Amino acid sequence: MNIFLHEFKSYLKSVAIWSGANFLIILVYFSAFTTIALEAAQMEAMMNSFPEEMLIAFGMNDMNFGSLLGWFAVVFLFCQICLAIQASNYGIALLSIEERELTADFLLPKPVSRVKIITAKLLAAFLALTITNLVVWASAFIVINLNRDGREFDVQALAMILSTIVLFQLFFLSVGTLISLLMKRVRSVIPLSMALSFGMYILSIFGSMLGEDKLEIISPFRHFDPNYIIANGSYDLPLVMISLAVIVIAIPASYVLYNRRNITAAV
Amino acid sequence: MRIYWRELKANIKSLLIYIGVVAFFVVVGFQKFEGYAENPEILEVLDAMPAALIESFNMNAFNLTTVEGFFGVMYAFIALILGIAAVMWGSDIISKEERDKTVEFALTLPVKRSTLVTAKTAAALTHCLLLALATWGLNAANAAVYDPGPDFYRFLFQGMGALVLLQVVYLTVGILIGSALRQHKRAGSVAISVLLGTYFFSVIAGLKKEWEFLEYFTPFAYFDPALILRESRVEPVYLWISAGVVLVCLAGAYLAYSRRDLYI
Repeated sequence: MNIFLHEFKSYLKSVAIWSGANFLIILVYFSAFTTIALEAAQMEAMMNSFPEEMLIAFGMNDMNFGSLLGWFAVVFLFCQICLAIQASNYGIALLSIEERELTADFLLPKPVSRVKIITAKLLAAFLALTITNLVVWASAFIVINLNRDGREFDVQALAMILSTIVLFQLFFLSVGTLISLLMKRVRSVIPLSMALSFGMYILSIFGSMLGEDKLEIISPFRHFDPNYIIANGSYDLPLVMISLAVIVIAIPASYVLYNRRNITAAV
Repeated sequence: MRIYWRELKANIKSLLIYIGVVAFFVVVGFQKFEGYAENPEILEVLDAMPAALIESFNMNAFNLTTVEGFFGVMYAFIALILGIAAVMWGSDIISKEERDKTVEFALTLPVKRSTLVTAKTAAALTHCLLLALATWGLNAANAAVYDPGPDFYRFLFQGMGALVLLQVVYLTVGILIGSALRQHKRAGSVAISVLLGTYFFSVIAGLKKEWEFLEYFTPFAYFDPALILRESRVEPVYLWISAGVVLVCLAGAYLAYSRRDLYI
């Protein structure tokens, strides 16, 4: 419990910054919504004249920027980037920070098992991420309601999109933790977490802008595509399962690796 | 000079990784281009998308069915990767000494602190140039299949030149962050926040007319590939801003580092 509280306290400032960033992104993008909605109405007429197969080939059959939710799908992508960076930062730093700052010498002689340490740390990080998650939920509902001008939107679909955040964060948290344990020494966190989160982002946007799915399938940005949820009213289950499977494998693997880990000590 | 060589060697792994990342995206990108080449239907789809959205992905002004246009769209991704590399190297190369607790050793050497900063800056700059060179080569090699005209090679050359300037801006910003920030541990995250913040600015600036002034605050908007392709130039005002940022950052870095209270 002490470890949990100590860890959680150390996240507070970072959680405040990331939550603020997410709120600002949603706010700023939605203040441009009225302009976009006008243009989108013209676009829709054009789109209808194209053959359906072609739109599907470019992943554009699901998009609809004129609606509140359609625009939210665009905005949500930017929130996802922030959430991904935050979660992978937490994951990669989770256990490696003790060795880097030589505090493992202090922590590990304590009368707690390594399993308890990693559990407490994971839970603290997860709680911190959940707070950010809740802020995104709140900002989405508040900002959309402020900007809707009497338009209706599908509350259930919005809730479904926002529910994906939990798994999305867990993916980056657990994969980050696993990566940090697979390495002998993590010198600094940011390059690794950027590679993980931004790599996944560029991978998915590359796919959606320039054609077909190939490698993009490993990217969680793909697994929880809001456009798919809006269009179909359900999750893209096979892809969600990929994320779920990765989480289910990465967490136990982290426990095993940490239990066997040869800890770098100061002396 | 020894510090320069040593830094060059120490960072080589990171350089190779970035080259690998660029190679991956260029190869995958050009594979996708196969579907676009000489396929006019795509243009109709793109024309129908709302201007604000296209703008926010920097996809306007390019004819995706030609190699030139395709590189123009890839340009934004490449700029992002090279920008990340530059700002990370810049912030890391100075702050890592304190993080790895080697600063006691480095500063007891008979060299001035300013010499240290110069050598490290030069090493990071060399890496940026090598990365840009590799990107250039990779793009030229992948494009060769489509037999592009001299226009493409000119655009590629000038575009990569602009990206080197972009890298220099971010490199010096990173170096300033690395040498001026008291908490050396935060250098990396601050550098990345700056990079992401400016990237968002460049995206947001395209969304609304009233937000266009934001372009002045983001190097990603300084070197507009459309302008380079059509008129082979960049807006002079942005060049002046870049030069100003570079000079201020370098001066600030030397000043801050020579007075720095080191964490030992």
